[in-house]
Amino acid sequence: MSALDHPQVDTSLEEFLKQVRPRLKALFARYSIPPQDTEDILQQALLALVYQRQLVRDPETWLLGTLRNKCLLYWREHRRKLYEAVDAAVLELMAEPMAPAQEASDLQRDLANALGQLPERCRSLLSLRYQGYESTEMAARLGYSQASINKVTHRCLAALTRRLLTVGPMRRKSA
Amino acid sequence: MPSDHPTREVLERFRLGRLPAAAMRSVSRHLLTGCAECRRIAKAGRQPAEPAETSYDAAIDRVFARVADRETAVARERDLARELYQELLQHPEARRRLLVSNSARFRSRMLCEVLLAESHQAGFEEPARAVELARLAVAAAGVLTEEACGGAEGQRSLAARAWAQLGNALRVTGDHPEAERAFAAVDALVAQGGLALLDTARVLDLKASLCRDQRRFAEASRLLDRVVAIYQQLGQWHLLGRALKQKSMVCGEAGDLEGEMALLRRALDLLDPDEEPRTFLAARHNLIAALNQSGRSREAFALLFHTRPLYLQQGDRMNLLRLRWLEGMVAGGLGRLEQAEIAYREVRDAFLELGLDYDAALASLDLAGVLARQGRSADVRRLAAETLAVFAVRDIHREAFAALAFFSQAAQREVAQVSLVQEVVDFLKRVRNNPDLRFRPPA
Repeated sequence: MSALDHPQVDTSLEEFLKQVRPRLKALFARYSIPPQDTEDILQQALLALVYQRQLVRDPETWLLGTLRNKCLLYWREHRRKLYEAVDAAVLELMAEPMAPAQEASDLQRDLANALGQLPERCRSLLSLRYQGYESTEMAARLGYSQASINKVTHRCLAALTRRLLTVGPMRRKSA
Repeated sequence: MPSDHPTREVLERFRLGRLPAAAMRSVSRHLLTGCAECRRIAKAGRQPAEPAETSYDAAIDRVFARVADRETAVARERDLARELYQELLQHPEARRRLLVSNSARFRSRMLCEVLLAESHQAGFEEPARAVELARLAVAAAGVLTEEACGGAEGQRSLAARAWAQLGNALRVTGDHPEAERAFAAVDALVAQGGLALLDTARVLDLKASLCRDQRRFAEASRLLDRVVAIYQQLGQWHLLGRALKQKSMVCGEAGDLEGEMALLRRALDLLDPDEEPRTFLAARHNLIAALNQSGRSREAFALLFHTRPLYLQQGDRMNLLRLRWLEGMVAGGLGRLEQAEIAYREVRDAFLELGLDYDAALASLDLAGVLARQGRSADVRRLAAETLAVFAVRDIHREAFAALAFFSQAAQREVAQVSLVQEVVDFLKRVRNNPDLRFRPPA
């Protein structure tokens, strides 16, 4: 007989779900997961439990631990998408052929101001990025390995996005 | 235009990354100006309001209904998978692979689970069969759709587990290069992300075993730290106990006996002797051996006394032989050399009878150590010659044989000290898990 023949969860699934329901709701609320997005998260976790019941000793703790992790990943994924979207937006803005010189110089100035609020390494990295440098070139110029340049870029984009959304760059007064 | 303020709703959707590209660009441009008003709104929306708990009811109801249906289907699949597995075994090896890869009937997640469980089990008795079953599991996982696995996460996790099981089965057969290739596939899946947490821990645990065998102790230890953290997070204390036992083996092989014993004690606190008697006993066994090895033979003796019923409870011959072997070691540690000699002789003879040459060689060397301690060089010489003669006609690893031959020559010249015996024993233990090692005679 293999381990598959020895289910560890004695209570029925229905009973278990009934018992765990209030804690699931509290957990989703605590992590502010929009109700429409809970279905995927919960279904993935519960299906994994159904498939692996033989291995899981304390299903409630397992489920809540798994969901906690999934909620964190949910927000991490959202943040990642936001950073990428901001990055793409800035790259596109920089690449746009802008007829009026004033608009181009305003954008350059605003971007420089925003980057000016960031730590030095992010300032250098994103300045190069928005001047059109590829990540291999940035890695070479800034002394990062190829393996770490993407991670550092991600952190710098996170810093830029946070700055835009919550702190915001200080606008210099026109001379 | 940079001066156009986005609405509160647009800002919120921007924050969630849910705007079309053009709108994302436009809002980004506006925010670059450092607009204080939008900054204030964005800051206020940074911590989304906690939704009312009742707002989750509808979604939870829908999921519960789907999962309950799925559970019934999974129970059916599980039964069917057992039948498919039995059917698969009726076919020659080459045909099994074809069936799993090409026949829709064999496309089942539960069949893959059965193959993984059977491969794991076979690893203890028939390593070559474990490899074959794991290869089938890899093939089975490779043809399953996301839907069949309950989503993308399930599919990736199953594939990672199948590759990890193959890597582990190959490790057990001593094929480290192939095992590394299998774990490279696991690494790629882990790096992609989106694996279930429990499965991540399981595959990292297996990879740690390969690192340990290859004596990459720091890497093994790092991997097991991640495994431990995951099991803690998931509140799976029995799995945490197993992981700590695994880590203790890394410490032991790295020569850190104190670390090994500390981890074994923590593992024993978490393992349930009723639920997992074999794992619990293995941890106790290792703790007794470590205590004895670190010179605390009295403590080892006391713990052995309390552990003896567990060996007897298991009752199988291998466990009883392990008990006898350990009794010999502890007796040796206590200076009761005659008792140790009797135990080692019994163990060696039993291993030879069972055809377990490698264990017989190790027991012979333990016996030689006891004889050397008593200054019985003529007996050591005789034992060394007998041992070499036995293994000359058996299929024993070449480097292990070289080590035994070196020991035998030293015995013939009557210079086989206890320290030399110990060095050869250590080498034989290491080379068993890492066949790439070469024996270098001690200076």
